[in-house]
Amino acid sequence: MTERVGRAWLLLGPALAVLAALFALPAILLFAVSFWEVRSFRLSPALSLAAWAGIWRDYAGLAAYTVGIGLAVSALTTMLGLAFALAVRFAVRQGDRLMIAVLITLFGGYLVKIYAWKSILGADGLLNQALIALGLTGAPLQALIYSRGAVIVALVHFLLPFAILPLYAGLRNVSDTAIEAARDLGASRAAILWRVVLPQVRGGLFAAIAFTFLLAAGDYVTPMLLGGPGGTMLGQFVLLEFSTNFDWPAGAALSYALLGSCLAVLAVLAAVVFGAGRQP
Amino acid sequence: MIGRLLIALFLLFLLGPILLVVLFSFGSSALIGFPTGPLTLDWYRALWNDSGFWVSLRASLVVALATAVIATLTGTLAALGLRRLGAGTARLLTGGLALPVLMPPLVVAIAIVVLVVRGLGLPLGVPVVVLAHVLVTQPFVILILLARLERFDPAAMEAARDLGATEWQAFTRVMLPQIAGALVGAGLIAAAISLDDFIIASFTLGGGNTLSTFTWGKMRTTLDPSINAIATVLIVLTLSLSAVALRLARYRG
Repeated sequence: MTERVGRAWLLLGPALAVLAALFALPAILLFAVSFWEVRSFRLSPALSLAAWAGIWRDYAGLAAYTVGIGLAVSALTTMLGLAFALAVRFAVRQGDRLMIAVLITLFGGYLVKIYAWKSILGADGLLNQALIALGLTGAPLQALIYSRGAVIVALVHFLLPFAILPLYAGLRNVSDTAIEAARDLGASRAAILWRVVLPQVRGGLFAAIAFTFLLAAGDYVTPMLLGGPGGTMLGQFVLLEFSTNFDWPAGAALSYALLGSCLAVLAVLAAVVFGAGRQP
Repeated sequence: MIGRLLIALFLLFLLGPILLVVLFSFGSSALIGFPTGPLTLDWYRALWNDSGFWVSLRASLVVALATAVIATLTGTLAALGLRRLGAGTARLLTGGLALPVLMPPLVVAIAIVVLVVRGLGLPLGVPVVVLAHVLVTQPFVILILLARLERFDPAAMEAARDLGATEWQAFTRVMLPQIAGALVGAGLIAAAISLDDFIIASFTLGGGNTLSTFTWGKMRTTLDPSINAIATVLIVLTLSLSAVALRLARYRG
């Protein structure tokens, strides 16, 4: 090993140590725990498939529903994000400056955003006040909050910057020359978008779809606060098994079921995004 | 024209809900809604006199500062290391280091709790929160630093070495001043993510509160209007840190 490469690994040491100690090792232990047993509230190492059988029995439907919500949110967010990124890239001049306004909300306000939707959609929330004031409804609509729709709206709002960022980064690298050439050759706007622009932002498109899907499907705080009994998602039951039921094997198996189903869906999405439209 | 209208609508959707919370934190009406009543600082006064708020703010700031310092260190060293490796190896390692950010924070947090409590038999608390936050913030430091180092001219370092500087001198006198903005920016982003994090902190803290878990407690249990004020404090802290950071790091995607 050359000195240069040896030095590189030395520099990477601390970060990789953190990754190994706080991510790889815990992940392995969590997987092992999913085969352990709980007897009278005591967790003991074993090689049991009880937890896996149990979650297959109890949670298969909920897993499918959670993946469905994740996909719906991801599709909506990615389409909206693409529309915004296209507008910023092609309709205004100071695009980079506008992006700061989007970026600024990326790292802050997770709880505050969910709380804001609670106060907008609640029974005595802003939307109901507005509807009553406009005479559109007599009594507050109870169904605005504690519903699937509320969860989807709040998740789309929270995740939009995560979709816009990679899409805009991809669009910045699309050259104007290729677009002008296509236009000169008589391509319609739709054709330019579909055949010239989108194929060049495949990476950004997949990043947007993947980020938003993973974060939506893995979230439990939004459904807990806005979902009500009809809008529960898998993450809430991971929490339930770990804390309330003290059934760590079930919680561990459920965590891996959540991860597994998300990764399976992502593999399919990757095949679609990177396979579609590729000329033979 | 349509493009501009679209952008305006999007910004309203993105920022509107946050601005509403800020607005109502100054309204005297206990309910969220219009009219807000006369403007008042009552909810901030209530917060000022709430010892729980100060304890949680202190914990949050300690965690955010420690996270920022450690993650900037581990992340910067990693970025410098990655630059010395082949492109394939570097991409693989960057992906591996970014993995914790892509996993549901709930699962990351639970796995850490299982290791600390069951695997090691150690207590939860602030040090565990800090380490967990380093895990999920160092990828951002690495990405910001890699983007900055991309634009750094290695010839400057070689020139310094040719003129007799040691490697350490070349690093501290030539490279460090140039990447200082990105370093501070990356640290502030790490602090913002740490302050904002609720899920990981709520599992790994054990007892007590950070600002996020304190806010969550109010969100779940009470209809206390001072929650608008806490939410505003939280959002102003994280957003202003991000704003300064983005300016310093000049990070674009």
